Amino acid sequence: MSTYELNTTIANLRDLRESDLRDYDAIYLGDIYCRLYEANFLERPGDLKEGLSILRDQGKRAYVTTYAGPRNEFLPKVHKMLEAAATAGADAVEIHNLGVLRIAHEEFPQLPAHIGGFANLYTAAGVEVLRQYGAVRFTPNYELSLDEIAEITADCGLPMELLLHGKMPLGISDYCFLLEYEEKWGVKCPDLCQKELFLKQGDWAMKTVGKGILSGKDVCMVEHLSRLLAEGHRYFRIETVSETPDYRREIAAVYRAALDRASSGDDALEAEWSETLLRHARIGLCNGFYFGRSGMDYAGIRPDAMGSLLTVSRVES
Amino acid sequence: MNRQRSTALPVLLAPAGSSRAVRVALDAGADAVYVGLVGWSRGGSRGELTWDELAASQRAVASAGRKLHLALNTIPKPRERAHLFKQIPAVIDLGIEDVIVNDAGILTMLRRQFPTLRLTASIGCGARSVADVAFFRDIGAHAAVVPGTVNPAEIREIKSVRGIVVEIMVHMVDEFVLLGKCSMPSYVHLKPSTLPASGADADAPEGAMRGVRQSGSMKRGGVGVCFKICQQPWELFDGGRRVDSRLFPSRQISRVADVKAYARAGVDVFKLQGRSLPVDLLAPLVRRYRDAIDAPTVPVAHEAALPAAWAVVGR
Repeated sequence: MSTYELNTTIANLRDLRESDLRDYDAIYLGDIYCRLYEANFLERPGDLKEGLSILRDQGKRAYVTTYAGPRNEFLPKVHKMLEAAATAGADAVEIHNLGVLRIAHEEFPQLPAHIGGFANLYTAAGVEVLRQYGAVRFTPNYELSLDEIAEITADCGLPMELLLHGKMPLGISDYCFLLEYEEKWGVKCPDLCQKELFLKQGDWAMKTVGKGILSGKDVCMVEHLSRLLAEGHRYFRIETVSETPDYRREIAAVYRAALDRASSGDDALEAEWSETLLRHARIGLCNGFYFGRSGMDYAGIRPDAMGSLLTVSRVES
Repeated sequence: MNRQRSTALPVLLAPAGSSRAVRVALDAGADAVYVGLVGWSRGGSRGELTWDELAASQRAVASAGRKLHLALNTIPKPRERAHLFKQIPAVIDLGIEDVIVNDAGILTMLRRQFPTLRLTASIGCGARSVADVAFFRDIGAHAAVVPGTVNPAEIREIKSVRGIVVEIMVHMVDEFVLLGKCSMPSYVHLKPSTLPASGADADAPEGAMRGVRQSGSMKRGGVGVCFKICQQPWELFDGGRRVDSRLFPSRQISRVADVKAYARAGVDVFKLQGRSLPVDLLAPLVRRYRDAIDAPTVPVAHEAALPAAWAVVGR
């Protein structure tokens, strides 16, 4: 068992079965954006139970995520999935919505809650509030820098989960504009959001998954693992909910090797790691908001080690 | 200027981005007005009041027998937060009792330190279900704001939560990304920017340390300083192939025709978005809702009848 946790997200049973998860310690099951997402675990209690069973058989920690923006009419479904997660022995549930957190705390107090990135956690005071509702792990809002996260951690002493690599969630909507293209493209929901669709304006790019907007660039923190470990972080996410099984496997392999090396105090990066990360990054790489800059910026600390990374990303002087 | 309300109608809460706008909103029939204080609100510099303007506005509102709500709805960093909290007693001394905040943690801190304040969980807190509103009631919110996309039937269910005032933003822009769930502008550009000089006394309780705000962050900098990338045209690419040029869908919500249904559902406050609205647009907007609330029957006006200029594009 490693001293840190590398986890990711998988939306449905098909994707779970097709994924080689050897380098992950834990998996979140479900798509947080849309109830119509293809065979979404969050709509299929039977699939969810099977998914949890598959993960347990592989020795993985099995988590269930929840919808990020439910309205009244969604709540019975959310309740059902929390119940299924609890009865099937999920190790934790990820929660992005404060009302859902309240339901989970009141009705399924045995389920540890991980706070997701859309819960808008910006302050240590927020951590304290959510802790009282059963939250044991916290994804700070993606806009926070590592310095700000360190301040929160110093204040509350509770574990944070950080996005280490992948497309950063930027927004969630009630409306799927991809449905406008069903007739024009001859592709129906739920296949529409399986396409690789990017919104671009000059050198800005964002990925659309229908009701969700993700960063176009992949957040990449492979150069900063020693710092993250030194600052006490142990829970790391590779966001792959909208990616292929190949992406899921190959990116995890890079980070598993890099984290193992960083854990022993060795910061050296292999050339093939950067080749793999770049090959899977359609638009380029960025550091998110970790260094207090615009989310799409990339501030490599070792450009020599990462070859052409700086050439594919906009860098602010 | 005093307006006596004969029945327990929902409160009409109007926006104002200046002292003059406060007076205009009162004259147009607002029961209460909300304003931002320079540096601490999400309204952006065009929609915020200096300390002197805030004090004058509070005097005007109090003399009219109405209420002034103060939006302190950025999420300040810890050092700035300490500065803000030091200034809250001065806000209370002005006679302001209603404060709008945007973070559950800050709400609970304010609640603990200033128990006389009535705290509203702003629309940016993202409440829109009965469970969300119950959460904010539990942590001590006096009120929670839900968006105008929530319909009267949902409000009826939400009102089953006792002990919290439910405000609905009946006039607002419904943008593609849910309010409080958007990091698109800061992804493109996040930059500390200097606050505008107010000319007020250096000790006045305004301005995040008289320093910077995070331009681009919807939560910490404010919509007034976001870059509105959602309102700009985008090229849509499928793989490497350009397939369309488009805008994110958005719409102006003006639920003036639904105020009776909302009132029957038990909503407590009708809130209007638009602290950046010029006063010549603010007055008819407030009056329109005043008339609709006071009318004995459902008004004939409907959404499509609203002039395009009333769209609160800049919020």
